Amino acid sequence: MEDVKAYIETGILELYVLGELSQDEKSQVEEMASKHPQIKAEIAEIERSLEAYAAANAVEPPDQLRDRVLNSLLTTFADDSKFPSKEFFENDIDDEVDEVVTPHDNVVALPAVKSGSFYKYAFAACLVALIASIAAIYSLNERLNDSYGQIASLQSRNQSFANRVNLLDNEINIFHDPAFKLIKLQGTPKTPASQLTVAWNPVKKKVMIDMQAMKLAANDEAHQYQLWAIVNGKPVDLGVFDAKPDSTGMIEMNPVANAAAFAVTLEKRGGVPSPTMSQMVVIATI
Amino acid sequence: MSPKRKISLTEEELVLALRNREKIAADALYDMYSSSLFGVISRIITDTAIAEDVLQETFIKIWNSFSSYSAEKGRLFTWMVNIARNLSIDKVRSKDFKNQSKNHELENNVTFIDEQRNTVYKPELLGVKDLVEKLKPEQKIILELVYFKGYTHVEVSEELGVPLGTVKTRLRMAIIELRKYFN
Repeated sequence: MEDVKAYIETGILELYVLGELSQDEKSQVEEMASKHPQIKAEIAEIERSLEAYAAANAVEPPDQLRDRVLNSLLTTFADDSKFPSKEFFENDIDDEVDEVVTPHDNVVALPAVKSGSFYKYAFAACLVALIASIAAIYSLNERLNDSYGQIASLQSRNQSFANRVNLLDNEINIFHDPAFKLIKLQGTPKTPASQLTVAWNPVKKKVMIDMQAMKLAANDEAHQYQLWAIVNGKPVDLGVFDAKPDSTGMIEMNPVANAAAFAVTLEKRGGVPSPTMSQMVVIATI
Repeated sequence: MSPKRKISLTEEELVLALRNREKIAADALYDMYSSSLFGVISRIITDTAIAEDVLQETFIKIWNSFSSYSAEKGRLFTWMVNIARNLSIDKVRSKDFKNQSKNHELENNVTFIDEQRNTVYKPELLGVKDLVEKLKPEQKIILELVYFKGYTHVEVSEELGVPLGTVKTRLRMAIIELRKYFN
């Protein structure tokens, strides 16, 4: 026991705690400590008092340093390359701290690896979630584009309905407008079954023909019907039109103010400057 | 002492949590020990920004090399404060630091620490008043130089011009005073 006391009195244990001993001296102290509980207790006392001394001299670091430090630790959480810490031992050969405590790899390796793989799985899970999200966004985007297409086609159909309604409105207005005269052109002896209705507004000089009620033989590709007005005894060209079995609506022809008669002849496509009387199909005088 | 809520664990719980690399361990580690470690670091390194960097490096090293800590061989704080002190001394002696401090090229550590000494010894930095009174001046100086300035006992011996054995004895006596005071 005297030996132990003398050993303690040399002050070597204080230097041990302060990390000031060489590797050999350290091993020696550790061996002594494992043999003599008194030495072990003495070391613990020295440690405790120096820890209290440091606490009594503590300096509070600035608040913002806490986040900085903790973030720098947490970024190493998922990083396998940061541990185990072998590189520290290689790089800091003269670092006394690493000599104070020799590594106990066998004890600690397992939990470290365990939690490392946890973060690997967490990372993998995040990756899967990311891919699923991208797929979901992609398919939603497809459907969104489909919807845009449908909206566009609905809008164009809506527009064509609106146009049609406008057109029909115009036709109804014509029939309701007292200024319009409805003139029924009757077939000539050559074409007794033919009929055509011309709506004429002498005030606005407007001339329309009713395609729906028209009874004219369908023309071929080389020919077209041509409408004429007889003004002051002379024929005036009011334009050409086609007669098809499925014609609908009304079409507007060239304007004319004074007309004594209306007539239609079958002419070559595009019309001619003056009517071919032998080809007259319908006529009406006012 | 602190208005903020801080996490505090027993040393055993903390060591276990650190081994498992739990996030709470990092929080608790910082809350429990940052001011004590910063006290040591900021006395070795007077430049606040550099001292803060070293505190950060200290925690990173504690965190990353925790597998090399063994509870059988000593208290957690002893291991950590030695990391802090070694990183601080490395920094003070590094070329960068010397350049930053605008010091001249120095031949060896002892003369360098001599130059550092004009920023060194401030008795008022010893926080607890009656403790200061209990320690003899030569004990205070040794504790200050070894614990807070990072001198080796050999350097203290040269610095104070006293034999190595005397340094060891005085250091031991000073720590015995601390033990009486704190226990």
